[in-house]
Amino acid sequence: MGAAALMTMSDDAKAATEWAEHFQGNYRLMTPEEKAEARTRLERRYSAEYGKKVTVDGTEAQPGVLMGYALNVRKCIGCRRCVKACVEENNQSRGKNPGERIEWIQVLRMERGEFATDKMNHGYPEGLGIQVGGNAYTPAGQVLEGQYRYEPEAVPEKDATYMPIACMQCEKPPCVKVCPVRTTYREADGPVVIDYNWCIGCRMCMSACPYWARRINLTNPVLPKEEMNPVTHYLGNRPRMRGVVEKCHWCLQRTRKGRYPACVEVCPVGARKFGNLLDPESEVSLILARKNVFRLKAELNTFPKFFYFYD
Amino acid sequence: MKKLAFHTMILAFCCGMISSAFAQQQQEITCFESRKGASEVVKRDLQPGWPNVKCSPKTGAVLWWGDPFDGTVPMGDMPLLGNVAPGKAVVKPRSEKLAILPMCATACHNGVGPAFNPPTLPKDKKPKPIPTMVGLLPDAQNLQHGRGRIWCLDCHHTTQRNKLVDNFGDPVSIDQPQLLCGKCHGDKMRDWRDGIHGKRIGEWASTGKKRWFTCTECHNPHNVQDGARNRGFVQIAPESPPQLPKGMKDAKYERVHGIAH
Ligand code: SF4
Ligand code: SF4
Repeated sequence: MGAAALMTMSDDAKAATEWAEHFQGNYRLMTPEEKAEARTRLERRYSAEYGKKVTVDGTEAQPGVLMGYALNVRKCIGCRRCVKACVEENNQSRGKNPGERIEWIQVLRMERGEFATDKMNHGYPEGLGIQVGGNAYTPAGQVLEGQYRYEPEAVPEKDATYMPIACMQCEKPPCVKVCPVRTTYREADGPVVIDYNWCIGCRMCMSACPYWARRINLTNPVLPKEEMNPVTHYLGNRPRMRGVVEKCHWCLQRTRKGRYPACVEVCPVGARKFGNLLDPESEVSLILARKNVFRLKAELNTFPKFFYFYD
Repeated sequence: MKKLAFHTMILAFCCGMISSAFAQQQQEITCFESRKGASEVVKRDLQPGWPNVKCSPKTGAVLWWGDPFDGTVPMGDMPLLGNVAPGKAVVKPRSEKLAILPMCATACHNGVGPAFNPPTLPKDKKPKPIPTMVGLLPDAQNLQHGRGRIWCLDCHHTTQRNKLVDNFGDPVSIDQPQLLCGKCHGDKMRDWRDGIHGKRIGEWASTGKKRWFTCTECHNPHNVQDGARNRGFVQIAPESPPQLPKGMKDAKYERVHGIAH
């Protein structure tokens, strides 16, 4: 009886919200009232769909905050807990079929390399497939294709280092430049976000992003009710639909409420640091002041707010 | 007849409910927060549908905290922490995880006895292997910390064995290992104090409330130089790799088929 009532409500809520969503504008251009209305609509729809009270938050950027992230590449041991914590927090699709499992963080594995005398004449390091010759062409420090799917018994491996990548929240984001419907944009406190409802799924941003950060829901996302995280943000981890692009948004539903992103909290070696770049006392500011820092692909002038460092 | 069937149904239903509740009680999920075997937590609901932790089905590691401050106490005073407001720095007491700790200072090392006043200790600073001790703390038998340059009482208090020791010979709580470790590892201690080394969960603002992970929550002080270690940590099992793209059979695909260019 209860279940039946819930199901009818679900049909109602779904039909009603879908109808209203067709007439919904671009989130960034909505008035505060329209935004609140859109969120309430979604709360009803998600609550019915997932059988529990789902909240869709709309907390805006706070003045005086510019979010920043730093990752200690020397520390990372490649355990992938950040990847899985992100999935738990951000309601990604987790099905079994091709395209149904979405992860925003990728942990790249790099060869440490070895310059042994018996390799003197080995010109073709495995996997690189380019015309090379001599010992100096050892794949040290390179990411071999397919190698971020490493699966050893235990990490860190002797002959590897690891480099996690996800959205770099660029200050000059190429993805924002190419989006034909301007559904992806930089928020005032830094993160680059997506209004999933306005996304047309053209995937321009996916090809524009130099950091392989964006994922598309090619299929209907698979998100079991009991695993769904009911605390969501409109621009953050609310459930997505088929045909829209998604990516890391620095756990907006958490960070706008003051809490660390999920990946920062889970990292067992404490390689991940997050904070306010405008606050000289914050962890990231202290890292920028004290450690050796670099940005990935800095030459592209994307100006990431995600920094790598080592001690 | 119909009524009987109905009653049977109800009975079956109730039994089902009870047995499922029973099964739930039995099936207790324990996972570890930082170091396996030294930081276990039991999964439970803080609110209906809102667990204290979510655990990895593959490795048993905690992946997500429903409440970062669950089970914590305010961190004891630490030098140079003047700018952290009271109650903003909390820790999970280590002493609760160390089952033998309350016994240490009463059962064997009770601080009294002929050899202890004044303490007469072996000149070569080599501990005598006592079977009970070895059995209780196998890690400590082959102590690698300091590569033979330090021994038990460089870190543990001479007469109060449930305490650590600072530079002045005064006891330090086992919940504040940083006061001991910082004696030698000053640079790490400084980075830890500033949030650069080690791990914190909770609020990201520099003035926010955070749960600090103390030294021994992540490092085992007795086997820091474990042979299998790399970068200060013993090796751990990784989480599962990402899904392969459609049509790719394994991660070695490019190696076998070469890369088009
Ligand atoms: S990393 Fe990619 S998705 Fe993120 S802001 Fe930069 S270009 Fe956009
Ligand atoms: S959780 Fe930390 S150590 Fe593990 S892969 Fe992620 S960044 Fe690296």
